[in-house]
Amino acid sequence: MSGRMDRLTATLTRGLARRTSRRSFLGALGASLVGGAAGPLLPIARAEGPAREPLPGEPSPDSAEGNPDGCSYWRYCAIDGFLSSCCGGRHNTCPPGTSMSPITWLGTCRNPVDGKDYVISYNDCCGKDACGRCFCNRNEGDKPIYYTHKNNDLNWCTGAPSMIYNSTVAVIVGVATRKG
Amino acid sequence: MKRFALPAILVAAWTSLAHAESAPINYMLQCQGCHLADGSGKPGSVPSLVDSIGRFVRVPGGREYLVRVPGSSQSSLSDQDLARVLNYMIRSFGPADVAADFRPFDAVEVTQVRRPPLSETESVRRALLSAMEPR
Repeated sequence: MSGRMDRLTATLTRGLARRTSRRSFLGALGASLVGGAAGPLLPIARAEGPAREPLPGEPSPDSAEGNPDGCSYWRYCAIDGFLSSCCGGRHNTCPPGTSMSPITWLGTCRNPVDGKDYVISYNDCCGKDACGRCFCNRNEGDKPIYYTHKNNDLNWCTGAPSMIYNSTVAVIVGVATRKG
Repeated sequence: MKRFALPAILVAAWTSLAHAESAPINYMLQCQGCHLADGSGKPGSVPSLVDSIGRFVRVPGGREYLVRVPGSSQSSLSDQDLARVLNYMIRSFGPADVAADFRPFDAVEVTQVRRPPLSETESVRRALLSAMEPR
């Protein structure tokens, strides 16, 4: 009995050894491990996720005027700097590790949705090296340096704990009314 | 003539409302960048307006100082708008210091004293502060 069992085991093992190799087994094992780990990263599920919602009262984020990640965003009409939204922050919050300067350049931009002119404060984010991405220099209303009070070529980080300029946000601080 | 009276009054009311609203917006656009929304400024570089600006109009030379400081004098505001912004700032940031006989700024006064801007503000400011009554 035991002899027959021994022969059967030996026959199956030799057959397996003839058909496969240790290298092919390791290869298959490795492929299954890597493939299994990469599975969740495939973009299939994300592509079916919900679209971004526009901010209340703002244009659709699918349009250039409504996308805070691009220079054509309506609030950026008087900005001069790197977009915080492109540097780890958002259009109205500074990137982590930087602090917002309290003194600012201010201007008005027209919201294309309601047609109103909003007062926008362009606070600089300070305390880390210049972001260097998404430079946006629309600067409407800026005047040459000899009009000192309407010139934006300043480092507004002067009012922050650190003078090192990183990027800029655009915060709504009021609604401009018809001038009397 | 009587039937024209109401439209005339409405226009006058609308105009004064527009004027009343333009001073806060002009403060935002011309002053707030440094003096901040609450007028507190930045100690050491931007003087606070809070409980301070109203005291200047009570000492000799103080009214002229407020019009001639470079931020006022060289702003892009018209004389009329500058007068309105100054009145707005005094009423907003120093209401307790406004005397009963306070005479608001107007375009005529601003036109007379606005030019030239003060070239040296520190010593003038110190002299005015020392002339004020201690609190």
